[in-house]
Amino acid sequence: MTTGFATAFNEITLVLFTTLAPSGAAAYAIMGAAMLWARGDERKRVGRALLIPFLVTLVGLVASATHLGNPDNALYVFSRVGRSPLSNEVFAAVLFLSASGLHWLYQFAEHARLRVLNALMGIAILASFAFVVSVALAYSSRTVVTWDTPFVPVALCLNALIGGPVLAIAGLRFARWGPLEGKAGWALLALSLAALVANTGVYVAQGANVLSLRNYLVSAEQLVPTYGAMVVAFCALAAAGLAVDMAGLLRGRGVSKASSAAASALVLAGIFVMRFAFYMMHMTYGISL
Amino acid sequence: MEQVGFYFNAKRCTGCKTCVLACKDYRDLDASVSFRQVYEVAHGSWAQDDRGCWAHDCFAFYVSCACNHCSSPACMEVCPTGAMGKNELGLVSVDERRCIGCGYCALSCPYHAPKVDRAVGHSAKCDGCAERVAAGGKPICVEACPLRALDFGPIVELRARYGRAVDMPPLPDSSITAPNLVLSLPACMGEDADRVFAEGMVCNVRELV
Repeated sequence: MTTGFATAFNEITLVLFTTLAPSGAAAYAIMGAAMLWARGDERKRVGRALLIPFLVTLVGLVASATHLGNPDNALYVFSRVGRSPLSNEVFAAVLFLSASGLHWLYQFAEHARLRVLNALMGIAILASFAFVVSVALAYSSRTVVTWDTPFVPVALCLNALIGGPVLAIAGLRFARWGPLEGKAGWALLALSLAALVANTGVYVAQGANVLSLRNYLVSAEQLVPTYGAMVVAFCALAAAGLAVDMAGLLRGRGVSKASSAAASALVLAGIFVMRFAFYMMHMTYGISL
Repeated sequence: MEQVGFYFNAKRCTGCKTCVLACKDYRDLDASVSFRQVYEVAHGSWAQDDRGCWAHDCFAFYVSCACNHCSSPACMEVCPTGAMGKNELGLVSVDERRCIGCGYCALSCPYHAPKVDRAVGHSAKCDGCAERVAAGGKPICVEACPLRALDFGPIVELRARYGRAVDMPPLPDSSITAPNLVLSLPACMGEDADRVFAEGMVCNVRELV
């Protein structure tokens, strides 16, 4: 029987990219907002810890670039901005990386101007939103019947809202950001939990609507025979990640560096499972193998 | 702009795959890539009646399909670099100097026409044998077909000569990308087209690349 495993495995770098980059960008926006409110040394520490979500996003982007056959021609991508969803995605990624990269470097300037830093951060936060949305819409090809649904972009944005806060907790913990021990920590976990509940609902609805689709070669159900188990694995891994962070906060001593990193890894592993399922599900209206 | 296209006669095709191999030979494609493929669409079963006689309700036919050089090509819509384009004859082909090999064209084409050739790092597909056509010939698959089940030419002429049929399994509904293709439908579709659309399945999936 033909399953979509080979398709997803061939696109493994894109699975990795769409797992890491949206959550990394969302975490960057959260930490960036935290930095704008922080003062003095705390602001400096959070500013430097922004490297964590920046690198997570960058690793995702580098992974996506490795799947290109001929990166030498990459500049042509900008010729189709506004017309090809993939061009929009690359454009938003470049905007985000430029603004966040500039901010990162400029904060070490001896006489860095606060206004410039804040403006760069504002642009980077806006670009991170644009980037997440552009990744969500990158696969809206009208001929791919299993992808051309509202579930796909909504699920990807919710992925970022699950992974972003958990990764931000890890970054803010490394920056020793004070409010994390109190309400802010709980608020981030609540946001992530709400997104997890909503995302699970979207995946169940996607399964109910999309798995029955078929063309003359294969059905979506044949392509992803393990869809149900993958949704359960996603839920279990993400919930386990949230529980690790929650346990730290409940103990009253705050989340440790190790447990916040473990929580991020668990949540990202859960998202990875469903991103893999997404590529397994690829099926056009006509002939697709 | 003139628009050329393919004609395929499902009443004649025996599924011999000479078209596939002629293309592979001419374009020097390895075993993992094929610009033209032959699909075997079939369904039905045999049953024994009370008197012990066997009867069947099977149908089967072959469909030879390459790029249909659509008027609304999905590959061109999604291409992020504009490498996928149409020439003056309406033939869709890849500009290798622009292609980044992202594979989005291969994912979006409902005819499974573009492939990403990882060895050379860019998309590759049927270009309608543009060089042969420019020299006044026809694509190699058309000239190779021993049953004369394929033809090629200006789509207006093909439609005038062969009709306007363009929908049959396993091809997607023609309204999606407006393929420049004309078909002579298999005999079984003349008998019960609804059943063929409802039950037909590609049965040689393992032969396809």
